[in-house]
Amino acid sequence: MQTLLTTVSTLPEIILIEIRFHGRGGQGAVTASRVLAIAAFLEGHHSQSIPMYGTERRGAPVTAFVRIGEKSRMIRSLVHEPDYVVVLDPLLRNTVNITEGLKPGGTIIINSASPPEEIEFTSEYKVATVDATKVALETIGRPITNTAILGAFAKGTGEVKLESLIEAVKTEMSGRMADTNIKAVEKAYNSTIVGKNRVVKELKKVALPPANSRADWRTFRPIVDPAKCTGCQICWTFCPEHSINMMERKSTIDYIYCKGCGVCAEECPTKAITMVMESEKKEG
Amino acid sequence: MVGNKAVAYGAKLARVQVISAYPITPQTTIVQYLAEFIANGEMKAHFIEVESELSAMVAVQGASFAGARVFTATSGPGLFFMHHPMMEGADLPVVMGVVHRSNKSMQPDHTDLMAQRDNGWIQLYCENNQEALDTALMSYKIAEDPRLSTPTVFGIDGYILSYTAEPVEVPDQEMVDEWLPPLKAPWAPDIHLPVQEWKKRQGRMYGSQKAWLEHDTKFRSSLGVIREVNAGFEKTFGRSYGNGLIEEHNCEGADAVITAMGTIASTARVVVDDLRSEGKNVGLIKLKCYRPFPVDEIRGLAKKYHAIGVIDRNISLGGGGNVLNETRSAIYDIAERPKVLGFHTGMSGDEVTPQMIRRIAEKTLKSVSEPVPTAVEWVGGA
Ligand code: SF4
Ligand code: SF4
Repeated sequence: MQTLLTTVSTLPEIILIEIRFHGRGGQGAVTASRVLAIAAFLEGHHSQSIPMYGTERRGAPVTAFVRIGEKSRMIRSLVHEPDYVVVLDPLLRNTVNITEGLKPGGTIIINSASPPEEIEFTSEYKVATVDATKVALETIGRPITNTAILGAFAKGTGEVKLESLIEAVKTEMSGRMADTNIKAVEKAYNSTIVGKNRVVKELKKVALPPANSRADWRTFRPIVDPAKCTGCQICWTFCPEHSINMMERKSTIDYIYCKGCGVCAEECPTKAITMVMESEKKEG
Repeated sequence: MVGNKAVAYGAKLARVQVISAYPITPQTTIVQYLAEFIANGEMKAHFIEVESELSAMVAVQGASFAGARVFTATSGPGLFFMHHPMMEGADLPVVMGVVHRSNKSMQPDHTDLMAQRDNGWIQLYCENNQEALDTALMSYKIAEDPRLSTPTVFGIDGYILSYTAEPVEVPDQEMVDEWLPPLKAPWAPDIHLPVQEWKKRQGRMYGSQKAWLEHDTKFRSSLGVIREVNAGFEKTFGRSYGNGLIEEHNCEGADAVITAMGTIASTARVVVDDLRSEGKNVGLIKLKCYRPFPVDEIRGLAKKYHAIGVIDRNISLGGGGNVLNETRSAIYDIAERPKVLGFHTGMSGDEVTPQMIRRIAEKTLKSVSEPVPTAVEWVGGA
């Protein structure tokens, strides 16, 4: 990395910018923060990537932070007044206040199939949207949106170059994984829409599922084919959320608590469970 | 790289020969990185698997007694479990990394390491990942100095450094090899000698009251060695950490200073710089070495500044902040001594924000010209 540092020719002036990532366990918010910090480092800045570890579970809301700037300005607290907010999951804004502390007029990069003008916040922000889930599925084959959303970050903010992001991905990943993730970065960069959000007095109240529900964690939903299910209870044993009940010796999924991890489908010996993409209408 | 990786790189570059450790959050990944280095052939070392921290410490002490360069690492509760062998092995140059973890949460405060303050281990605290790697290397140079042969432990704040990634420069292996040659261990057992003769060579400080005095005198002499090693490190690698014991940051012409350890120092640097640019005359003292306590340096501060605000991310229950108490005690017999104010913050890993440090610095500065409440203040914390 030392050698890479010396190849940098122009140093855009950044004293300090702070970025907050919102994602869910398994989407790679922490990796996204690392890749961005490395990209900034490759451009000659000092940087920090700070994961906030809580419950490390697939699907649980995760926060991570990045600081980019001069070494002498690197404080050690969490980021409370970000310049940018990056959201890896389209449904997170229903349950997490993603604009909290965001500097007035700051930028939000959000994974969404909708264009910026259709997204509602109570103040005006610069908003860049990309359908990162779609991009990730098309390139990586799994709904891991971390690298795709970084492509949108580069496009939406201009704070980091696309090439630096690609170099940074290469330092964190190798082989096919690096190739597909680089494709995700590029594809997202090219399909990002930059605009402004619609300002509303009050955010639409979304009917929230009961407390502790994991319904909005899902990208995929497990569907059981009763004809194929032998009642062996293997899925019931493996489900990390205890959201499978055996009804009349058939696996039955409780969609309030199922988080869509796919462990059941993976473990079922008769392939009775298939994972089906949740419909887009769940969003907003 | 993250702090835990920086620590692992330190042990690797030092060409450690024997490692033993027991996993505990947030230390675990240090040992994982080292196991990876060994598995993929990047590092040649014996890894002794054990069932507890107590055994890990005893295992590395045994290896050290046999003449090997050793490394172990732990956190909070694991460190408490090592207390007994740490006390016993005060003449073996064992090096340990501690990833601070509070005893009341998994997040860091320095109470874990400060609870080991009376063991005769040199204690160094780090503020960033570069310093973690560099301090690992310096720890070997200090611990193995033939004048000392004294165990050395360095700490990094759990989570805040252990999992935060930031740029770290990894020194060249050849440079490290030259600076840190293989350990010579004159005490190592020689099967041709009678056991009593080994014991003599090992120079164990064991016996009557005089043994304590000798031990304390030798231990205190390590302050000079730490300064030397820090200066030597600067010459070879171009980086140093104050004088190895404390660092004065933006203190020129200051009326008051605050002292901080570990990652709080990073945030405090920024706060102090901001205050200076607002014309407020307050500087920062980063305390890197807590054991032995750098009494001369602290007395030096007392002669220069009118107030010292001490930040303790630790507590001796029923006694208060360890650094506060030792600072006051170090300067007590100076006639014109400054005011010394005490603050607890960041306990249990509670977040320490720039605003909180600003409050501490402003109160300390204010105490120079007007009376302020002298009771120890707990800043922040839910
Ligand atoms: S593992 Fe498959 S076959 Fe067994 S109970 Fe579950 S769904 Fe049915
Ligand atoms: S996908 Fe299957 S294993 Fe995962 S939570 Fe839902 S029911 Fe359980």
